[in-house]
Amino acid sequence: MTSMFRHMTTRGTPYLFLLPGLVILGALLSVPLYKVVEYSLYDNVIVEREPTFVGLDNYANLLSDSGFWSAGLNTIVFTVGSVLGHMVVGIGLALLVNADIAPRARTFFRSMLILPWIFTAVVVALNWQLLLNPFGLVNYVLQWLGLVSEPLDWLGNPDLAMWSLLLISTWRGYPFIMVSFLSGLQTVPKELYEAAEIDGAGFWHKFWHVTLPQLKPVIFGVALLDLIWTFQLFPLVWLSTGGGPGRATEVLSTLTFRLGFVDFQFAQAATVAVSILIISAAFTLLYLRNEARRL
Amino acid sequence: MSRIEIRNLVKMYGAHKALHGIDISIQPGEFCVLVGPSGCGKSTTLRMVAGLETISGGEIAIGERVVNGLRPKERGIAMVFQNYALYPSKTVYNNMAFSLQLSRMPRDEIDRRVREVAEILELTPLLDRKPGALSGGQRQRVAMGRAIVRDPEVFLFDEPLSNLDAKLRGQMRAEIKRLHQRLENTIIYVTHDQVEAMTLADRIVIMRDGRIEQQGTPDQIFHDPDTVFVAGFMGSPPMNLVECMVTPTGLKLGQNDIACATPSSLRAGDSVICGIRPDDIRPSADLPAGASITLPVNLIEQLGTEKLVHFMVGEHALIGKTGGRTSLTEGAAHPLSFDMAHAYFFDPKTEKRIR
Ligand SMILES: Nc1ncnc2c1ncn2[C@@H]1O[C@H](COP(=O)(O)OP(=O)(O)OP(=O)(O)O)[C@@H](O)[C@H]1O
Ligand SMILES: [Mg+2]
Repeated sequence: MTSMFRHMTTRGTPYLFLLPGLVILGALLSVPLYKVVEYSLYDNVIVEREPTFVGLDNYANLLSDSGFWSAGLNTIVFTVGSVLGHMVVGIGLALLVNADIAPRARTFFRSMLILPWIFTAVVVALNWQLLLNPFGLVNYVLQWLGLVSEPLDWLGNPDLAMWSLLLISTWRGYPFIMVSFLSGLQTVPKELYEAAEIDGAGFWHKFWHVTLPQLKPVIFGVALLDLIWTFQLFPLVWLSTGGGPGRATEVLSTLTFRLGFVDFQFAQAATVAVSILIISAAFTLLYLRNEARRL
Repeated sequence: MSRIEIRNLVKMYGAHKALHGIDISIQPGEFCVLVGPSGCGKSTTLRMVAGLETISGGEIAIGERVVNGLRPKERGIAMVFQNYALYPSKTVYNNMAFSLQLSRMPRDEIDRRVREVAEILELTPLLDRKPGALSGGQRQRVAMGRAIVRDPEVFLFDEPLSNLDAKLRGQMRAEIKRLHQRLENTIIYVTHDQVEAMTLADRIVIMRDGRIEQQGTPDQIFHDPDTVFVAGFMGSPPMNLVECMVTPTGLKLGQNDIACATPSSLRAGDSVICGIRPDDIRPSADLPAGASITLPVNLIEQLGTEKLVHFMVGEHALIGKTGGRTSLTEGAAHPLSFDMAHAYFFDPKTEKRIR
């Protein structure tokens, strides 16, 4: 009897220690989650004491709303563009700082190139606003080089704003990719490059036939993770362009915020949030499956 | 087939001198084996020939061309790595075809060559597999196939068999020998294994601490060593090397006098290192002609066809041999006979041979 009890307590002890964490995590996650889904099924939530239940009307309205569709399209452009930017810049820089140069210089460049990652979004956004301002450094340099005849309003021009945003997002996000690839690159056996060199491979051949195949699992996982993050990225977009000018850079996350805290249409905001949730969850499942397969 | 000339080759790693001026001259079609203890610079030498390491001093010529400034692919060499270095994402076929594809050879010519080599190495059924799905021996053959398809002037091998088990190593050794007879390329082959060195080589180069200790045919290296190091390095069990005193009639070994001829440059009272292989120390019944001493035998190792006889002379532990059927008792004294006609003498200071 006592031995059975002891058996149970020893086996149960780890779960006992986990309990507070699980409770807090559960409360912090499941309550808001539940609330958001609930809100999306009512009208006039929060602002009125007795909101009316409308079923899926909010969703039907959303699907016929051109603002939602344009934000959705912008989200896709922003997400795909950012991930591509991160990948290309991240891989390129990882290759560069993995090169066989003086160890001190290598450490220096590696630390410098990680910097964009450690600033908060506010600092990044403000800095780029200053840089991209019509009277900012970027325009000054471009004019000095003779590339533009008059200053461009990078963040204020609807045709340029998305490109500028992608530039900012790429700058902000490449270090994570770079660091992931750098660690991946260091696991590629040196002998493979030597064998390729003897076989007559140049830089691109070595990259294509040795580096990429070895990094493929890393690339896929990291790209998916980046996709999930960028898809719901809010602060950087909101602080850089606020979704503007007009709705030129409005993405789903900024749309949610605008609906909720600018227009006070909390039900509609919740509806958009749930749509983000569903899509993110789909990507996350894909990511988890990929990770599980790698293990 | 090309000759390889290595002239006064020097390698510096920072301030550390890994090679102190190596000279090797390899004839066209010759099988040259570099041996030596770990860290003596074998791989470094080979990789400099391959173009994977920069040359700090001296010259390497392949054929008539000095290749110092050439990139690996321009040197007409192929290399087989210790860990094979197969491309994990490519099939066996593409592993072998890669260099030909890079040189823009026509497709059907590539196909013909790869299949021909695959046939020679018995890789045909494996052509569609990835290296991950091959055994160690099969990977090794793919690595060789990858080198052979290119039909290079020179093959470079860096301990290609060291990851295989003993039996497979024996088979692959014979296979490499056969391939060399068939292809007749010039080969530089690095190994730790003295059996590989003795069986494969036309020329053995023994290295030590970045210098060449001796080079020559396996016969010369084994039967005519120039230094104590070479004498002790080749042969298993190794040659017995003991310091003894020269007497007017021969040598004084511990308390025992051995009558033998000594080189004329030695005077009575000189100290000398005497080297004698275990094969040349036998029970007196086996070898009536030798100098016989009765000595305590403390250990007998039965190897099957022969036995190793461990015994002491003074404080020196020596090894002799006898047939597998000879019965000797451990712990008892036995008359042992030294075949001094095959003894070697070395200067204890310079460790050089006294002839
Ligand atoms: N990249 C390097 N940097 C500094 N020193 C090196 C480097 N590579 C080799 N060395 C040194 O050069 C010497 C020769 O090395 P090498 O690899 O040629 O030895 P080896 O004869 O092939 O030994 P092993 O039988 O263990 O493979 C060693 O002392 C080694 O420490
Ligand atoms: Mg080596």
